[in-house]
Amino acid sequence: MDKTQTDTGMARRTVLSAGLGAGLGLAALGLAGCTPSAKTSGSGSGWKQFSGTTINFISENTAPSAAIAANSKPFEDLTGIKVNITQMALENLVQKVKLDMSGGTSQYHVVYADPYQVLAPLSQGLTDLNQFVNDKKYPPVEKGLADFIALDAAGRFESKSKLYALPYDCPTMIWMFRQDLFDKYKSKMQADLGFDPTPSGKITWEQYYQIADWFNKNAKADVPYGTGHQAKQHDSLQCDFSNVLWAYGADYFDVPDIGTVGSQNPGKSTLTTPQALDAAKFYDKLLKVAHPSSTTWDWDGLGNAFAAGQVAMCPNWHEYAATNEKSLPGKVGYSILPTGPKRSANNWGGTGIGINANAKGNEQGAAWLFVNWATSPATQVMTLKSAKGGGTPTRTSVYDMAEVKKAEKRPSDMPNMLTASAVLEAWKPENIGLRPKVATWNQLDTIVYTNLSKMIAGSQDPTTTMQAMASQFDKVNG
Amino acid sequence: MMLPALLVLVLITVLPFIMLIAMSFAKVRLLGGVSLSMNGFGNWSDVLTDPATWHSWGVTLLFFVLAVGMEMIVGTVLALILNSMRRGQSLAFSLVLLPMFLAPITVGLLGNFLLDPTIGLYSWVMESLHLVGAHQSVFGSQTTAMLAVTTLDMWEWAPLVALIVLAGLTSVSPSVLEAASVDGAGYLRTLFSIVIPSILPVLLVALLVRSMDAVRYYDIVHITTGGGPANTTWVISLQLNEKVQATAVDGITTLIGQSAVIGITMLVFTIIIANVFVRVLDRRGLMK
Amino acid sequence: MSNTIMTSPRTRRVASGLAIVAVLWSVIPLIWMLITAFKPQNAIRTSTPEFLFAPTLVNFQNLFSGGNSVGPFIVNSVIVSVVSTIIAVGLGVVAGYGLCHWKSRGKKDLAFWIISTRMAPIAAVIVPLFVMFRQVGLIDNLLGLIVAYLTFNLPFAIWLMSAFFAEVPPSLQEAAQIDGCNKWQAFRLVVVPTTIPGIIATAVLCLVFAWNDYAFASSFAGPSSQTLPMTAGSLITQTGVDWGQLCALGLITVLPMIVVGLAVRKHLATGLSMGAVTGE
Repeated sequence: MDKTQTDTGMARRTVLSAGLGAGLGLAALGLAGCTPSAKTSGSGSGWKQFSGTTINFISENTAPSAAIAANSKPFEDLTGIKVNITQMALENLVQKVKLDMSGGTSQYHVVYADPYQVLAPLSQGLTDLNQFVNDKKYPPVEKGLADFIALDAAGRFESKSKLYALPYDCPTMIWMFRQDLFDKYKSKMQADLGFDPTPSGKITWEQYYQIADWFNKNAKADVPYGTGHQAKQHDSLQCDFSNVLWAYGADYFDVPDIGTVGSQNPGKSTLTTPQALDAAKFYDKLLKVAHPSSTTWDWDGLGNAFAAGQVAMCPNWHEYAATNEKSLPGKVGYSILPTGPKRSANNWGGTGIGINANAKGNEQGAAWLFVNWATSPATQVMTLKSAKGGGTPTRTSVYDMAEVKKAEKRPSDMPNMLTASAVLEAWKPENIGLRPKVATWNQLDTIVYTNLSKMIAGSQDPTTTMQAMASQFDKVNG
Repeated sequence: MMLPALLVLVLITVLPFIMLIAMSFAKVRLLGGVSLSMNGFGNWSDVLTDPATWHSWGVTLLFFVLAVGMEMIVGTVLALILNSMRRGQSLAFSLVLLPMFLAPITVGLLGNFLLDPTIGLYSWVMESLHLVGAHQSVFGSQTTAMLAVTTLDMWEWAPLVALIVLAGLTSVSPSVLEAASVDGAGYLRTLFSIVIPSILPVLLVALLVRSMDAVRYYDIVHITTGGGPANTTWVISLQLNEKVQATAVDGITTLIGQSAVIGITMLVFTIIIANVFVRVLDRRGLMK
Repeated sequence: MSNTIMTSPRTRRVASGLAIVAVLWSVIPLIWMLITAFKPQNAIRTSTPEFLFAPTLVNFQNLFSGGNSVGPFIVNSVIVSVVSTIIAVGLGVVAGYGLCHWKSRGKKDLAFWIISTRMAPIAAVIVPLFVMFRQVGLIDNLLGLIVAYLTFNLPFAIWLMSAFFAEVPPSLQEAAQIDGCNKWQAFRLVVVPTTIPGIIATAVLCLVFAWNDYAFASSFAGPSSQTLPMTAGSLITQTGVDWGQLCALGLITVLPMIVVGLAVRKHLATGLSMGAVTGE
């Protein structure tokens, strides 16, 4: 099946959603009309053909991988394939995958392909999955590719002709807040601030700042600080800042589709526009009222601090809902992030899993069976329920299941689903935030968070920061 | 007799080093096996003209002086304390030694745990004693991050210094010390005029052992501050690591070559330092 | 350690007080790690430290269960560190002796070159070593890690051992040779036994360095050769750092080293004093 017929009449900058997945307003982008017929896979139809093979899966330490590692027996029973799962921090994973691919070897057959740090820089080391999707020898992808959310962003690079990965997880940054504290202080806050502080996309970032500041001054007895951020000199700082950058109408580059399929040549950066400078100034101001330990937190540190009651609200990946429900059962609410002058932007952190192009013979086929199984609706429901923290399904159909819908309300056996209304809102094209998918992203990422770290430490003002970022970007991209 | 060992050593250390030098003058392509294409002095000039390189060298020097300095002082003090004990010396010695058996990665993680502003034991103690403000993390401030990181390094390695120094102290001739006490010299005077000079070679050996590792290990900094905040703990190994991490597989890159340049300069730095110590040992006729 | 400086009772009282401080400084973090390893999750995440709790083995159970049980990793760690130590010390003893008795003007330069090979930055040599290892199939292979650990342990062993041999009086070997031993026998039967403390000290230090390595293992090891310290990385999950499990892992990782290290503590001290004073 040739997918070079790129547009099926869709707007260029459509992001995640084009087709309409049953009432959810999301579906895989750019695949309408070219999905294989959605068949449910009957057991036995090709699943056993690589029985006896052993494959290795390298993954970041994410909830779905932890859940699968703890429970890989169903796959082994279904296929007779043994799968070893190695989990590590993303930066270590990038290093290992790179060495593996450059060596022409395949220690790891299935690769957790972060779109920015693995897929874009290493796409040549990944197999085109279309060959498996279209091969009748293999069990079909249940419900077809159209059932996937963010297929382009998680699975493609530069063009739509090749598919490198199937969407595996999709944590997204949303606004987490202490419902109990907002309930308690709502009227007082409203009287003091002059607006209804209830978290929603209607609140602006400026108002978010005021709410944070109000908590600092008026609610010390209940919570030490209003807001906390993942502002360690780390990837997380870039993720946190990007929400604000996009909300203010700025972006890293001005290239169509750079967030979805990505681009090899992003050109000059656009980080010195007035909007970008405003975003930096606001972020600097916001961090001044944030919990002082913010500068030592990555997403984990922030997640822990929020769960420990250190802050009343924060932007963080929605998969932390599972931790929240353990520590603060019933006390946490979720919304999309505040709105800037332009929009509400919610950083999408999804990832696909792909196959090492060096994998040979049976390993390739076995790897594909694993990719197919691990991203199937049934497996995603399993990870949602896992005691290991809960997954973040990438299938429209999963969100439509009655059992999953029921879990959106407490008491829930799938705590991540408590964020469903916020997350589904965040995935709408007008609300989603997508980082630029470029091969040099690893370097650009470091430039962004290093400069931001200097800014919030007070050793560099916002304007200098953005100028430094822009000139370093342009140097890297030639 | 040296032949087998030297052959192995050449194979596993000289060969990679030659490759490192070759890469430092080349553009590297990683995909499908490493291939090099010459780039002259491009990588060298890129690295040496990059202000980030010099910044991280500055940070490295500070780290080196603070960490190794504290290790030497604390290690020597530990050894002197243990040496003057009559009872319980053996037990105290065993307990004091424990940190040096930990993996550096464990030390870093333990540091994160103990100093976590929310759940950390030491954060709680320091907050209770008003040594740090409420909700402040020592890793988060520009003034304390370096101190925290070097203190962790010192916690792990001062015991090794103590071990070496204690070994030296036991071999100081008792008559020398007796002469000192007859003389009625004060403790500090004895210490600096007699004890320290007589264990000087041992101190230099300890210094040499620590200097070899202080620059090349980066597990602790990496896992705690990650080089932050605002690059204040961004040591040269992190700069090197960053270059290796950031390379794309597709296409040809100068980043690997740049990382090789940094690696070579680090090696040269360490060798110079070590050479200075060995020369001092030598000049004093302390080396056989 | 019979030789003490400053033996007035007052000085010793002060020293005892300081010793208590020193011991506390060293062990509190370790005790806290030990306690945390036996804590249930809800007793760990508290803003005021929890001292009273019902001890649990759940953290250890979690480490040894599931698809990523650390059992095989312990075996890998033991094999890799023990074998590389044996090779390093074996080659190091012989080469150290050779170096010590090498009569040449270049001796000092050779000695310095040997130890300088240990100073190469780990992160820098990973790429070249990886290329070499791949050529000969040493990636994700225990043998590969053994070789990688030799890069820092072999020079260290030669260096230390040469210092130890310098302490052995040459007359000892001469006497043995007069008694009818050949040179090799004299070395093996007479000289080596006198340096046993030094050999033990060297071996333990090599073992500790190899056992605790993280950088090489995380680059060269794979699913079939994963070591214990590497496992720490996989416990930092996106949904929270599991401190209970990390402390349990830290404990499992450090215990063998503590046992070995303390068992030979005396040799470690006398061994290092022999070598250190020579200070080559």
